[in-house]
Amino acid sequence: MYLGLISLLILLAISLNIAIAVESRRVHDKIYTSISGASCFRRLNGTHQTGCSSSQYGSTGALHLIQVVEDFEFLLRNPPAPPYAPMIPPHLFTRENIMRLKEQGTSSISAVLLIGGKEKVTQFSHELTCPNRYSGLLLSESNETATCDTRNPENAWNPWGSGLLHEDFPFPILYISDEDEVNKLKSCFEKFNNYDYEGHNTRSLCSVELQQFMVGAVSSEVCIRRTNFLNNLGSTKYCDPLEGSNVYATLYPRNIQPNAVNGQANETNITDEKEKFILITCRMDTASMFDNIALGAMDSLTGYVTLMSIASTLKQYLPSNSSNLTKKTNILFVIFNGESYDYIGSQRFVFDMENFDFPSASTQRAPITFENIELMIDIGVLDEISTINVHTLNKTDKAEEFVRVLNSQSQNFNINYQLNVGNNIPPTSAQSFLRKMKTFPAIILNSKPQNKYYHSIYDNAANLNFTYYNHTEQNYTKLISTEEALQLFPAESVQMKIRNASTSVALALTQILFNQGPKVKGYASPLLIDELLHCFLEAADCRLFKDISPVNSLPGPPFPPMRYISVLMSPQDASGWTYRLMGFLLSDEVDTPEEKCAPLPLQWIAGPKGVGECRHTTNNYTYALSPAFLIDNYDWKSGEYSTWTESTWTKLSARMFLRPSRVHEIVTLSIGIVVLIISFCLMYIISSRSEVLFEGATSSSDALSAPTAC
Amino acid sequence: MDISKVSNEQKLKLCRTYFLAGWAFLPFVWTINVFWFFNDAFRVPPFPEQAKIKRFVILSLIGAVIWAAILSTWVIIFQTKRAEWGAMADYMSFIIPIGKA
Repeated sequence: MYLGLISLLILLAISLNIAIAVESRRVHDKIYTSISGASCFRRLNGTHQTGCSSSQYGSTGALHLIQVVEDFEFLLRNPPAPPYAPMIPPHLFTRENIMRLKEQGTSSISAVLLIGGKEKVTQFSHELTCPNRYSGLLLSESNETATCDTRNPENAWNPWGSGLLHEDFPFPILYISDEDEVNKLKSCFEKFNNYDYEGHNTRSLCSVELQQFMVGAVSSEVCIRRTNFLNNLGSTKYCDPLEGSNVYATLYPRNIQPNAVNGQANETNITDEKEKFILITCRMDTASMFDNIALGAMDSLTGYVTLMSIASTLKQYLPSNSSNLTKKTNILFVIFNGESYDYIGSQRFVFDMENFDFPSASTQRAPITFENIELMIDIGVLDEISTINVHTLNKTDKAEEFVRVLNSQSQNFNINYQLNVGNNIPPTSAQSFLRKMKTFPAIILNSKPQNKYYHSIYDNAANLNFTYYNHTEQNYTKLISTEEALQLFPAESVQMKIRNASTSVALALTQILFNQGPKVKGYASPLLIDELLHCFLEAADCRLFKDISPVNSLPGPPFPPMRYISVLMSPQDASGWTYRLMGFLLSDEVDTPEEKCAPLPLQWIAGPKGVGECRHTTNNYTYALSPAFLIDNYDWKSGEYSTWTESTWTKLSARMFLRPSRVHEIVTLSIGIVVLIISFCLMYIISSRSEVLFEGATSSSDALSAPTAC
Repeated sequence: MDISKVSNEQKLKLCRTYFLAGWAFLPFVWTINVFWFFNDAFRVPPFPEQAKIKRFVILSLIGAVIWAAILSTWVIIFQTKRAEWGAMADYMSFIIPIGKA
């Protein structure tokens, strides 16, 4: 009977334990609520560090909602229970307010949250007013930019820029876009913090802890030196250089030169001076202050899509054989990566060209140098397409003729091209070429800045007024007439505007190379533009990307590709898709079965018909890594090449919990110390009276006999 | 080892060994020498070897104090000036702090 009772009791205890154990695991979840958002992280250049970092084990701050500018006063004038973490809406996230927090809030502000919600925002750009002002063309004998007026923001290339991207903050900044997360934070604030402000230091407050500790510090020079420093205790990587790939492709395939020596970059590689190119370039990257959120719709995607449309149209306008051209010129399209960070891609490209390393010897083609390039057309930002400025540094006949041809060809497209000679060059890749040779024949197509969200998280499809029309039945690269196009898209849509710009440039180039208009009818297809904008702004699992990929490849993810250049270890999907796009748009379809469609330049892709086709491609990658990381003993302070790196980090997380007040913590600690002292005293008293208290016990030292020897 | 059971000559020999060992850049050996033989050098009623033991203990004490002064000065200088010294300080360090200069 007793056995039965005992076993029943044991069973009861075990089941209670299990029930309590399940409950107790959820206690941790009841204390902490995790918050997801995009973090601001640290980037370094040759001389400075920029961005944000938390303290090593997380930065904790009590929440405080900012709704009007006066709410900042509470935080900056001796708040009752520092440190605080203000929740700031985007329209108050201005240079003035944030710099005030940085300068005056050293002890009272430990973290900043940017709460999404774009209702009252009219401008939100945190790039400098003169982007890339320390690279590119500089005034002689100084490091001031020659192409942008830094003292006069209205005439600068980014008039609404606050420059916060280049400031260093001692606290972490987190951007929370999801409305549910924001409501979680706001309701916790209302429930625990938003009353009895004088009593803040005596009660528990709703707080956040942000873990965004950045390992690299001081500057690229220091963090690269520390990363490369070998010592016995193992190596830590402090920072990674910003690195990616440029993509290039030619309209006509180039001849193979088998005698190019592999790996040697010197005069033994003979350039063919008679081979001439027209270089058409744009950039593929963008930047923003927060991790993983950078769409860059107006600041770089319009130029990129314009170049893709020009490539596709020229492929159909110009004859398939270059021998029919009046001028035997090939067209080289190059799309640079990393241009937002002091022209990483274009500086490396120019460096490679100077060293006879473009294209690299492994491609078995003759190197291309400055002398082979007749004209460079650089597509900058096209914020509005009714007037496009054609910038050139020096007044040349070539530029004037090109503008004249452009204007004559764009009669039907409502675009006015204006020649703009002088130092007023926008911050685009051409600056890397002009810096090395001021007489380089570069012209830049750029319109007057209108983008109030340059290099920010809000430069998205809405900023472009883009809607995806998704005309599924059509062949999207086929040239169509204006009447057909207007049946598919309204005249004011961004698809039609880009199509107008790209068609006028393509017609002008055809006129110059062919000395007559194109033999085929029709203009650039706005369907291709629609597809491109959809894939890069809305989702990468789109029809266009599927068609240009090899058969049976995995579909892209349901979100747009990341176009920030990032570091070597990131997926680099933007350059991957660009490579495939250039491969598809500029290649010739050849009648080769799948088994024989290899190796490169032959490539078997799915194709728009869905049955698979073989294409003879002309595309390739080049490295977009700044020469500063390749040159031994590079002088990091010289400013000659881009020196941007990104700090490494271990984890980025955020959580919300109730932080006890200082009074509570002191009381808990004091009670603990008092209990400790009492226990010591009690033990002493008990042990000194042990003979009285414990009957029959002898003193413990009697049990042992005295030692006889050591 | 319990030196209360050891003869006086052996005590002297031990003290001297420790004193000589400390010259091999081992200031902690001198510190141990001081603490170990302090009672025998100063508090116990005089015995023949006590004068020599006293001398060794005092010399060990002086040596340990000088070493302590040198080491603490170097530690203070390095900790305060490491950030300013830049590359040279990095080459001297085994563990370079992360996230700051």
